[in-house]
Amino acid sequence: MNLLGNALLSLLEFAPPLVLAALGGVLSEKAGVVNIGLEGMMRFGAFFAVAVAIWTGSPWLGLVGGALAGAAAAGVHAVLSLRFQANQVVSGVALNLVALGLITFLLEVLFGSAGVSPPAPQLARGSFGLAAPTWIALALPFVFHWFLNHTATGLRIRAVGEKPRAAATLGVDVLRLRAFCVLGSGVLAGLGGGALSVGILGQFDARMPAGQGFMALAAMVFGRWTPLGAAGAAAFFALAEALQRQLGFALHAADLHLEGLFLALPYALTLLVLAVGSTRSRAPAADGVPYEAEGR
Amino acid sequence: MSEPASTPAATATAAPPSWRARLFAPSRSPLWSAAFAVTLALLVCFLAILATGKDPVAGYGYLLQGALGGPRPFGETAIKAAVLMLTGLSVGVAFTVGLFNIGAEGQLIWGALAAAVAGRALVLPAPLAVPAALLCAALAGALWGLIPAWLKTARGVHEVISTILLNWIAIHLVHSWLVAGPLAIAATTNSDVSVAGTAPIRPEAELPRLLFNSRLDLGLPIALGLALCVGLFLSRTRRGFEWRAAGSNPEAARAQGVPVARCVAEAMALSGALSGVAGALLILGTEHRYPGVFRTGYGFDGIAVSLIGGGTAAGSVLAGFFFGAIRAGATRLQLVGIHPSFAELIQGLAVLLVAAPRLFHPLLARLRGNRVTLSRITPTLPQKDGP
Repeated sequence: MNLLGNALLSLLEFAPPLVLAALGGVLSEKAGVVNIGLEGMMRFGAFFAVAVAIWTGSPWLGLVGGALAGAAAAGVHAVLSLRFQANQVVSGVALNLVALGLITFLLEVLFGSAGVSPPAPQLARGSFGLAAPTWIALALPFVFHWFLNHTATGLRIRAVGEKPRAAATLGVDVLRLRAFCVLGSGVLAGLGGGALSVGILGQFDARMPAGQGFMALAAMVFGRWTPLGAAGAAAFFALAEALQRQLGFALHAADLHLEGLFLALPYALTLLVLAVGSTRSRAPAADGVPYEAEGR
Repeated sequence: MSEPASTPAATATAAPPSWRARLFAPSRSPLWSAAFAVTLALLVCFLAILATGKDPVAGYGYLLQGALGGPRPFGETAIKAAVLMLTGLSVGVAFTVGLFNIGAEGQLIWGALAAAVAGRALVLPAPLAVPAALLCAALAGALWGLIPAWLKTARGVHEVISTILLNWIAIHLVHSWLVAGPLAIAATTNSDVSVAGTAPIRPEAELPRLLFNSRLDLGLPIALGLALCVGLFLSRTRRGFEWRAAGSNPEAARAQGVPVARCVAEAMALSGALSGVAGALLILGTEHRYPGVFRTGYGFDGIAVSLIGGGTAAGSVLAGFFFGAIRAGATRLQLVGIHPSFAELIQGLAVLLVAAPRLFHPLLARLRGNRVTLSRITPTLPQKDGP
């Protein structure tokens, strides 16, 4: 029982970055823009959250800074893939590469270290020793679900991701809406990065986010491109990791070196779900398809 | 946009093309986009160094020195260039059949592991040990590459998603399990404590060094040879043509009797094999075992190399060499207080700039002496060159 309780607390502590980034992926891809760059956006968010938190002394402003940095990175993706019609996968991959190089460069320039930043002021912990990102990550999937399925804007976003030209004939500015969704995706991924650095670790590590952006992408696919599904999948992945950590303590599984199997499990499961149910778990129809307004 | 078309289209087509029009012809624009992108990236990074109060001229001087200034630096460049060329080639081969292979990293990891195991286990004389290990690596990479091909053609799973997932499966399985547990060398004194990383390969399986006082090994000739073979295969053989047909328009290719699914499987197997060999070069050439900590990233870099090289074999060789040189040279940037990961910044910026061909198209059109015509540009990858 204690094992499960510990795993649950650990889940609430470690899941938020993954949940937030997965929601970011859903927002972008629902509008028809593939977002491989989640990893890079999280990296921007994680770094600038720490930088702003150290600079201002406030972790809250740090979190805001992280979200804005994620949005700025997403802005590059939006400009390249929407304005210049770059291949969306290429643009996302490029963003990840830039994040890798640029953030390491900035880490060295600002903090004089290629490994870790100095400790940043951490978010205050409320009841159960949990910080704000946990509560955001718990509430946001439901808000997002309602927004996407029960508001006019949500309907427009889904329309733009499924049949952009039909949406355009009804007066929706496809590129503008897509751009907003990509920026929103960057805000969420940046927030996720900030939750990782300011929220959990209290400093920036040069390896951040260590594949969490890609895992968020897997969670989005696993959750069939829906907010609740993606958040649930992200929580499930985080739980698997938390359980593995707890089991590792309990069974001394470290001697067997089975943690690699546990770590590979979420990805293998996602792949299995895709392979078995590929017709039901499909992406938005116009996901990744560039859109060009007529009459330009 | 502002220049009006003063001459009618009829006279423009009748006149012989000017040297400018020929030099900056549309068919060469990938090359020019790449050249512009790389130059611009170098320039931006120059300014970035300047902005941090360090000496960019000295920095770039050290970079050049560390990349090409003598046999030892050249050896370092060659080691990295060979691997980058192969992973770039791997991504490019997948492009020809219309697949975006993000999975070069995973294929490289399995290839490296296979080379490490085969290099240890197979007892063969020197001239056979290296080819045998390379073959095992190619096979391992090819098998890992066939998974996304099958998922794509049989189950309709998009290869970008599946290869990303397969990368992480490979990374976790190999790095956190196989190399840490079952395949790790146990410490001699205490069997409870095992050292991560496989046992060293046999000396016969090590890649021969070509120069005294340099780590230049057989890797670069192998990579160049493979690039030549792949380039000739794609451009000169019937099968290569069918691959390109399957990539540029699968429906039309299928109507003409091209076995599209088979082409995709074959191309992904070759793509995986090339990445696998890239991993083998790292093991057989420099590491001589699968180390406990093996952070390569060369597979992801292959995407950059291929994109900047325009998806062609020759382009991958050029871009691979260029980024290999930057990587090797970047280690000397520490002399002016810049972290070697600076090379990744240059590379990332270059890809970002080359990602949007339309960024450069107005400029190229102007250089050709034409009006800017945005609508004529096809924005999609993969790049297809005419037969």
